[in-house]
Amino acid sequence: MNNFLLSTLIFLPLAGSVMVLLLPSTYRDSFRWISLIVSVINLLNIFTLYNNFDRQLSDYQFVEQHEWIRMSLGNLGVLSIDYFLGVDGINMPMVLLSGIVLLIGSIASFTIEYRQKAYHSLYLLLSGSVIGCFAALDFFLFFLFFEFMLLPMYFLIGIWGGERREYAAIKFFIYTLVGSIFILIVMIGLSMSVQDSFFSQEMGGTVHTFDFRQLTDFKNYIPHSLLHPIEKQMIFGVSARYFAFVLLIVGFGIKLPSVPFHTWLPDAHVEAPTPVSVVLAGILLKVGAYGFIRIAYGFFPDIAYQFTYIVAGAGVISIIYGAYNALAQEDLKKMIAYSSISHMGFVLLGLASMTVEGVNGAIYQMFGHGLVSAMLFLVAGVIYDRTHNRLIENFRGLSSVMPYFTLAVTVAFFGALGLPTLPGFMGEFFTIMGGFQSEILPDWVSMLAMLGIVLSAGYFLWTLQKMFFGTFWANRNQEENMKDLDFREIVMLYSLAALSIIFGIFPSLIFDISGESVKAFLNGF
Amino acid sequence: MLEKLSHILFSSRVLLPDLLFGVVFLVIVAAIAFSQKLDAERTYVLFNVLIISVLISIGFVFYAFFGFYKQYFESGSVLFGQLIYLDSVSLFFKLIISIASVAVLIHVWVVGYKVVGEFYAIFMALVWGLFIMTMTTNWLMLYVSLEMVSICSYILVVFNKGKNNSEAGIKYLLFGATSSAIMLYGISLLYGMTGTLNFVGQEFATFLGQNPTWIAQIAVFMTIGGLLFKLSAVPFHSWTPDVYEATPTPIVAFLSIAPKAAVVLVLIRLFSSLSIDFRMIMAIIIMASITIGNLSALWQTNTKRMLGYSTIAHAGFMLVGLLATNTIGVQSTIFYIATYLFITLAAFLLIDLLALKTESYELESLRGLGQENIFLGLAAVIIMIALVGLPPTVGFTGKLLLFTALWESYQTSGSNMLLIVLIFGLLNTAISIFYYIKIPYFMIFKEPKIGVRYYQIGFIRKGFLLIFLFFIIYLFMRPSGLINLIESLKLA
Repeated sequence: MNNFLLSTLIFLPLAGSVMVLLLPSTYRDSFRWISLIVSVINLLNIFTLYNNFDRQLSDYQFVEQHEWIRMSLGNLGVLSIDYFLGVDGINMPMVLLSGIVLLIGSIASFTIEYRQKAYHSLYLLLSGSVIGCFAALDFFLFFLFFEFMLLPMYFLIGIWGGERREYAAIKFFIYTLVGSIFILIVMIGLSMSVQDSFFSQEMGGTVHTFDFRQLTDFKNYIPHSLLHPIEKQMIFGVSARYFAFVLLIVGFGIKLPSVPFHTWLPDAHVEAPTPVSVVLAGILLKVGAYGFIRIAYGFFPDIAYQFTYIVAGAGVISIIYGAYNALAQEDLKKMIAYSSISHMGFVLLGLASMTVEGVNGAIYQMFGHGLVSAMLFLVAGVIYDRTHNRLIENFRGLSSVMPYFTLAVTVAFFGALGLPTLPGFMGEFFTIMGGFQSEILPDWVSMLAMLGIVLSAGYFLWTLQKMFFGTFWANRNQEENMKDLDFREIVMLYSLAALSIIFGIFPSLIFDISGESVKAFLNGF
Repeated sequence: MLEKLSHILFSSRVLLPDLLFGVVFLVIVAAIAFSQKLDAERTYVLFNVLIISVLISIGFVFYAFFGFYKQYFESGSVLFGQLIYLDSVSLFFKLIISIASVAVLIHVWVVGYKVVGEFYAIFMALVWGLFIMTMTTNWLMLYVSLEMVSICSYILVVFNKGKNNSEAGIKYLLFGATSSAIMLYGISLLYGMTGTLNFVGQEFATFLGQNPTWIAQIAVFMTIGGLLFKLSAVPFHSWTPDVYEATPTPIVAFLSIAPKAAVVLVLIRLFSSLSIDFRMIMAIIIMASITIGNLSALWQTNTKRMLGYSTIAHAGFMLVGLLATNTIGVQSTIFYIATYLFITLAAFLLIDLLALKTESYELESLRGLGQENIFLGLAAVIIMIALVGLPPTVGFTGKLLLFTALWESYQTSGSNMLLIVLIFGLLNTAISIFYYIKIPYFMIFKEPKIGVRYYQIGFIRKGFLLIFLFFIIYLFMRPSGLINLIESLKLA
C-alpha cells in the first residue's frame, strides 16, 4: 500500500514549525492556534490510521519506502539509507499515544505568553520528530529523529523552564547525547555487519543496510562480520554482541529512564513548563522503551535471552527505588517524576519476561502511562499556575473549593496506582503476570514488583489525603487563588480521564493491535 | 637537452593554472608597489580585481579538472623531474583551498576589515604555497612550500598590529621554526635511510622497511612534525589558542582549514607508501588531540580561543580516516575536510558578525544576541551542532563515515587499538557538546544586560552566512554528489 499518511504526520508539524517561524511577530496570537490546528489534524489522521490498521497482520503496514542516500564505500560495497516508514502492532499504539498527548500538550501551551513564536515553532518541530522516531523503520532515520528531538527539548526546557532550567536542560542534553552515542556505535556496527540480501545479489556487491526488517533477520549477517550471531567474534575475550547489547541497554536506559541512569529526569521535569513535562513524560520516555523493544530486543534476541536478569533487575530496581523516592518527595511534581520512573520499570519487567502477556503488557503500560502521566503533570501544572508553588504540605482540603479538579485528580491518581478499569491496572497486571509465567525469571522478581504497586498506592493516596481532604487551607494566604478548573483545563483533564477509562475498560483496543505483532516478534526468540 | 626542454614545456602546459596564478601574484605585487599613494577607494577597486583574478584561476583549475587535461590527471603525472606530482586528488584539494580563500576574501570585505594592499600579495603567496604543497611528493619541494606557507602565515598573523598580536606572532614563529627544524632533521634521516627524496615511490617503501622499525618510526614522526604543526595536532598544538585569539578572524578562518587540508593530503600520500607500522603513534596523536582539544575548550570564555581548541580536536578527527588505512578511510577523511570547510568558515564568520555588535569575542558579551536577531541565533545553533557532529548537519555525515571506516578497519584487522580510538572519539563528541552549545546558550537563554534591542544585519552578510548554512544542511540531505566526486578521485 502506497500512501503518504505517515509522512503527513511528520511533515505537517514540520511545515507548521516553519510557518510559525516565518510569520511576522504581529500575528503572535495565531501561533498557538496553528499548533493546535496542526495537532488536531494530526490526531484525526492518526485515527484514520488506527481504524484502517489491519489487526490480523503482524507485518508492517502503511509502508513508505524511498531511496534516500546511496553511499559507495569503495571495496566495502554500498551503504544504503532509505526513507522508510511504517507501523506494526508495536509502534502503532505509540503513534496513537503521540497524537493524543501532543494535542493535549498544545492545548496546555495556551498559557505560554513568553516568546510564543519560538515556543510554538519548537513545539511543532518536536511533534514532527517524535512521530518520525516512532514511525521510522530505518535505523538511520530512527537515529536522525531520535537526535532531532534533543534540540527542541533542550530549548523548551532551557528557555521556558523554572529557576534552575539551564542546569536541567544541559543535564538532559548531555545524558541523552551520551546515550545516543552508544546507540550510534551499535548502529555503525550493525550496518557494517548486515547486508541487504536481495540487493546484494542484484547489484553483485555488498549492500549495507539500515532497514529494520533486514537487521532482524540473522540470515542477512555477512559471514565473519563482527556482530555475526553464530560465529562469535570476540572483543577483549567477550562476544562483540554482548558489548553491542550493553551499549543499547545503557543508551535506551538513559532515555527510559531506568535506575541508575535516571537522575536527569526529576531535574528536567521539575524545571520544565507544564506542556513540556506532559510531552516529556507522555511520549519521550516511551521512545526509550520503544527502542528497547524494537532495537535492543529485536536485533539481539540471542543476547537478550542471556541478559534477562539484568534487564528485569533494572526494571524491578526502578520500580522500587522510584517508588521509595516518590514517597519521600515534598514537591508534587518531583513525586510524579519519580512515580514515572517507577512505572516505566514495569515496561522493562514485562519485556524481560519475553512472554506474550509480558510484552503486550509492556506495550499497554507504555500507552497507559502516557495518558496517566500526562494527566498527572497537568494536575501539577494546575496547582503551580495558581500559586507558583508545588509543595504538597502547602495545601489542604482542596476538594471543598475545587470539586471538578479533585475528581480529575482522583481519576489520575487511581489510574496511576493501578485501580482496575483504569489503564495503570492492566499494564501492571499483564507485565507481572508475564513475569510469573516466564520460564526464565524466578517468581520473586515479580513479587518484588508487586511491592512497587503497594508503595505507589501509598504515595498517591497519601498525597490525595494530605492535599485534598480535611479543612481547606493554603499556605502564604493563597486561599483566594484556589479557583476551580477553567474551561481549557476541564477539556484537557476530562478528555484524558475519559480516554483513560475507555482504554482501561477496553484494553483490547490496544491488545488487538499489538497482539499479532508481538506473537511474531516473540517467534524470533 | 631537447628532451629536457620539451619535458619542461610539457610540464608548464599542464601546470598552466598555477603559472597563471603566479603571474597574477606578480601583477598584484607590482600594482601594490606602484599604488602606495592611492586612496582607500582605489584600494577597494584593486581588491575587487584581485578577487576576480583568484576566481578566474579557480575557474581554470576547475575547468582543467573536468577534462581539459583529463588524461594527465587520471593516472597522475610527474612533472618537472619528479618535483611536481599532479593528479585529480591534488586538484580536488586545490579546489577546497580556492573556495576557502575566496570565502575568506569575501569575509574580509563583508565584515569590513581595513586591510592594506600588502595583505593581498602575502595572502596570494600563501595560497600559492598551499597549491604547491598539494602537488608534490618530493621532500625538498614539500619543505619549500611548507616554509612558504609558514612565513606568509607568520606575517598575516601580526598584520593588525596590537600588543597581544605580536606576542602571538612571536609564539607562532618560534614554535613554527622549531617544528620546521625538527621536520628538516627528520627528512635528513629519512633521506639517509632511503636515498631518495620522493616519498611515494617503491624505492622509498623498500628502503625504509629495511631499517629497524623504531628508528624509522622516530624519523617519520619527526618528519611529520612540521606537518602536524600546521594541522595543530598534539604535541605541536600549543600555539593554536594564542594565535587564534589574537589574529584577525578571517585569517584564523583560513588557517583553520586551508593549510590543514593541504597537510592532510601530504599525509595521505606519505602513509599510502609507508612500509612501517605507524598506527600506534597515530592513535596516540589522535586521542591526545581530541581529548586535549575538547577538555581545554571546556574552560574557555573567549569564543575564538574556544574555536582554536576545537580545531585541535577536529585535527584529531581528520587523522582518524588515515588511521583506518583503507580506501574508505582516506575517502572519508577527504569528505570530512571538504565539509569541515563550510562548517569552520561559517563558525568564524558567525562570531565575527556577532563581534560587529559587541566588539568583543568574550562569551559573556553574546548575552541575548539570539533574541535580538533570531537569524543569528538559529545560525549559531546549526553551526554549533554541525561542529559537534549531530544530525541534520553534514558534520554528522562526516563523522559517521569516519567511524564507519574505522569500524571496518577494526573488523578486518581485529586490532583493539582501533576500537579504543573509535569509542574515545565518539565519547569526546559528547564532551564537546558542552562547550559548543555555550555559544547558542549565551545567545538565546541569557537575557541581554540592557534590554532587548533589535539587531539588524545587512542583506549581504546574511546572504553570505546563508550560503554556508545551505551547504551544511544540503550536504547532509544529499551527500551523494560530493561522495561520488571523491570516489572518482584516483587515490594512490
